Amino acid sequence: MHPETYKPPALPSPFSTTTSPPSLITQGAEAHLYKTCFLAPDTPAALKIRPAKAYRHPILDRRLTRQRILQEARCLAKSLREGVNVPAVWALDWEGQGGESGNGGAWLLMEWIDGPVMRVVFERWEKFLKRNQGSLSEEDVAGEESRVRGLMERIGRAVGGLHKSGVVHGDLTTSNLILRPFVGGSEDATTGEGEGEGSPSMEGDVVLIDFGLAAQSAQPEDRAVDLYVLERAFGSTHPKTEPFFDSVLKGYEQSYKGANVTLKRLEDVRLRGRKKSMIG
Amino acid sequence: MSAAVETLNLSHLPLPVHLALFQDVHNAPFLRQQLISGNSDFEYALIDASMILSRSHALSAVFRAVNDSLNGRLKSRNVHSEIVYSLGATNNIADSFRKFGITDSTKNLLVVKVSVTPDITHDSVAAHLTQSIEGLPAPFTDESLSGVSDISKIKKAYKLGALSVAAVDTTNGTHAQDRKLEQSVLGAIALRGAT
Amino acid sequence: MLAIGLEGSANKLGVGIMLHPDDGSSPQVLANVRHTYVSPPGEGFLPKDTARHHRAWVAKLVKKTLREARISVDDVDCICFTKGPGMGAPLQSVAIAARMLSLLWKKPLVGVNHCVGHIEMGRLITGATNPVVLYVSGGNTQVIAYSSQRYRIFGETLDIAVGNCLDRFARTLHISNDPAPGYNIEQLAKKGKQLVDLPYTVKGMDCSFSGILAAIDALAATYGINGPEKDEEVDSEKSVEEGGKPTRADLCFSLQETIFSMLVETTERAMAHVGSKEVLIVGGVGCNERLQEMMGIMAQDRGGSVHATDERFCIDNGIMIAQAGLLAYSTGFRTPLKESSCTQRFRTDDVYVKWRD
Repeated sequence: MHPETYKPPALPSPFSTTTSPPSLITQGAEAHLYKTCFLAPDTPAALKIRPAKAYRHPILDRRLTRQRILQEARCLAKSLREGVNVPAVWALDWEGQGGESGNGGAWLLMEWIDGPVMRVVFERWEKFLKRNQGSLSEEDVAGEESRVRGLMERIGRAVGGLHKSGVVHGDLTTSNLILRPFVGGSEDATTGEGEGEGSPSMEGDVVLIDFGLAAQSAQPEDRAVDLYVLERAFGSTHPKTEPFFDSVLKGYEQSYKGANVTLKRLEDVRLRGRKKSMIG
Repeated sequence: MSAAVETLNLSHLPLPVHLALFQDVHNAPFLRQQLISGNSDFEYALIDASMILSRSHALSAVFRAVNDSLNGRLKSRNVHSEIVYSLGATNNIADSFRKFGITDSTKNLLVVKVSVTPDITHDSVAAHLTQSIEGLPAPFTDESLSGVSDISKIKKAYKLGALSVAAVDTTNGTHAQDRKLEQSVLGAIALRGAT
Repeated sequence: MLAIGLEGSANKLGVGIMLHPDDGSSPQVLANVRHTYVSPPGEGFLPKDTARHHRAWVAKLVKKTLREARISVDDVDCICFTKGPGMGAPLQSVAIAARMLSLLWKKPLVGVNHCVGHIEMGRLITGATNPVVLYVSGGNTQVIAYSSQRYRIFGETLDIAVGNCLDRFARTLHISNDPAPGYNIEQLAKKGKQLVDLPYTVKGMDCSFSGILAAIDALAATYGINGPEKDEEVDSEKSVEEGGKPTRADLCFSLQETIFSMLVETTERAMAHVGSKEVLIVGGVGCNERLQEMMGIMAQDRGGSVHATDERFCIDNGIMIAQAGLLAYSTGFRTPLKESSCTQRFRTDDVYVKWRD
């Protein structure tokens, strides 16, 4: 399948008739993400559309689509109010097109967050290490590791801040964390590009995105599962960073009172998750 | 003095929107009376500008109301009353009008008109407002709005009194706080009625 | 190279022979025989009974396999057996048989991870080169993708396996276990019309099924339709919302629609995460045509495709063990006799996949 032959589903109103059509950024699992604007052309916005899923029974599909777009918007709004770095909610349509008999198309318009996703940052870092395996001094390697540990600690703090606000993310992967460059930061950091050769910049705010599976919860269990999902995402996507995952937990531990209860629970969740290949 | 009407095409919406801000308004009771009596010449969203934080705040409510109108989901009489309703964070229309609509004591007034029919133009709106509103035209800018907005009343209306600010990312504390309040208000407008 | 594979980690005993021609042409299945231990309706299979079944049948099946493949013992290069994961007693009885053959025939042993066996067989049969793999059976529920010499688990069940959920609901309804409880649920679900509300539990790429099982068991009990089928059951005129009563078929239908939606959703999330457009479904539940259909629609919407196999290859068998074993054998892997024990716990990502780039 070639990208040029792929046609995303038709946009729901009012984006179906707009003069500067939103441009497709990613086709996520549950939703299509577009870049567009809000109110005026110079205000960039992220438009998340949840098209109907043809594989699902229509009743189940409507139930899930409505429930999730609302839940996502509520969780974003709540964590934003609590001072967590997340995109602001700007507009929303949970009914979808044509109401009950329609074909879905619920949407959520949010603040656009600039910067590369962490997956890209870590991939670049792993590539950089691989390419320079021979030429880096022990000191260089130690410096690189401490930079990565620092970033991972900030990721831990961001997740802790989210949990403190009473929200769990539900889908913490390195694709759902953006490194937003500081305003007035270096050119490299701002564009997230032009870093083909060097080790990537790790400066900026850690912003949590994609709250498609988020929920309001203060349960140690839910929080621990969040961390477990993130831990596994690091393990499966960035094997080289896995040994530093304790830095994420360190940042997390410092971020709110009661974090240690969650970390204790994480040990149980790990054991439970890992024994689940028992019966062939 | 002629009204300073700004005409905008909000992104994604097919209908132009006309906005005008007035300060030191003297005939609020008369204007309010026209709304109550249903005088169709005065079919405007008449908003107490002290309840508006910024352009984005007002325009978000317009966006929501026009979009709901396009999708046949109006909860109030027309798109103009819907704009006032959309400013509120609850499903209570009367409550939104009490909090955000014009009152007899309104001094700063934001007027919004949507071109629901082709005969509603910048000029027609400007002409009618110049002749009907006794007040000083002011530009519809963040600056003039922040000069008149009553932050504590706005926070109360959106139940955002306890809004906390993370200390870490504030190079300019006041600015970050204002922005967070505004962004939280936009979220409340978008989520109104979500059950 | 030629290998005989022995599989018996659950209630299926399978023996198969795979040939990897020396000229590098595509591998061939020379024989694939299986015998299943079927428990009575309302009951699951117990380890000791299953192990007894495997012991009673393994010699017969090995002889039959050699006959069907028309080969002699001399042609065999290695004896592959399931090292795990699985139920302890049945695994052991098959491992003992493999050791016996190894000593008798003087051929090396190759211990194989059951899950890797499923993946390699699925890849061979369907020609899918680098798919996201959904491995669904009575004991496992995993979403897997290959990366740097490992089959990495992106998502899995947080409690019971999806097949276990189906099997146990079949027991609740006293549905026959012959040929398989899941197959009979699938047939009954085809007659289902209305969807009842069940919990839907997806966390990231992980799923949970125990809450759904409890909910549907409770529904069956509430409406008095658990236990053996009663003759008088008729379709209710009213829907459940209108105070009507769901049928047994409605419950099977709703269970399938709900849990398969969860599986397709987590698989899609993994595909989006690794940027893959191909899906391969393996494991016994992978035979389910509704699951294949749903996965196909999802893959098509993403501009990709689904690969699935039929019951010969999806359901536990010996050739998948021979296939994965031969791949390892060809890279020099051997399992010395004293290390030829088996293990109930053996994660898919514990295997070093030396034979792939």
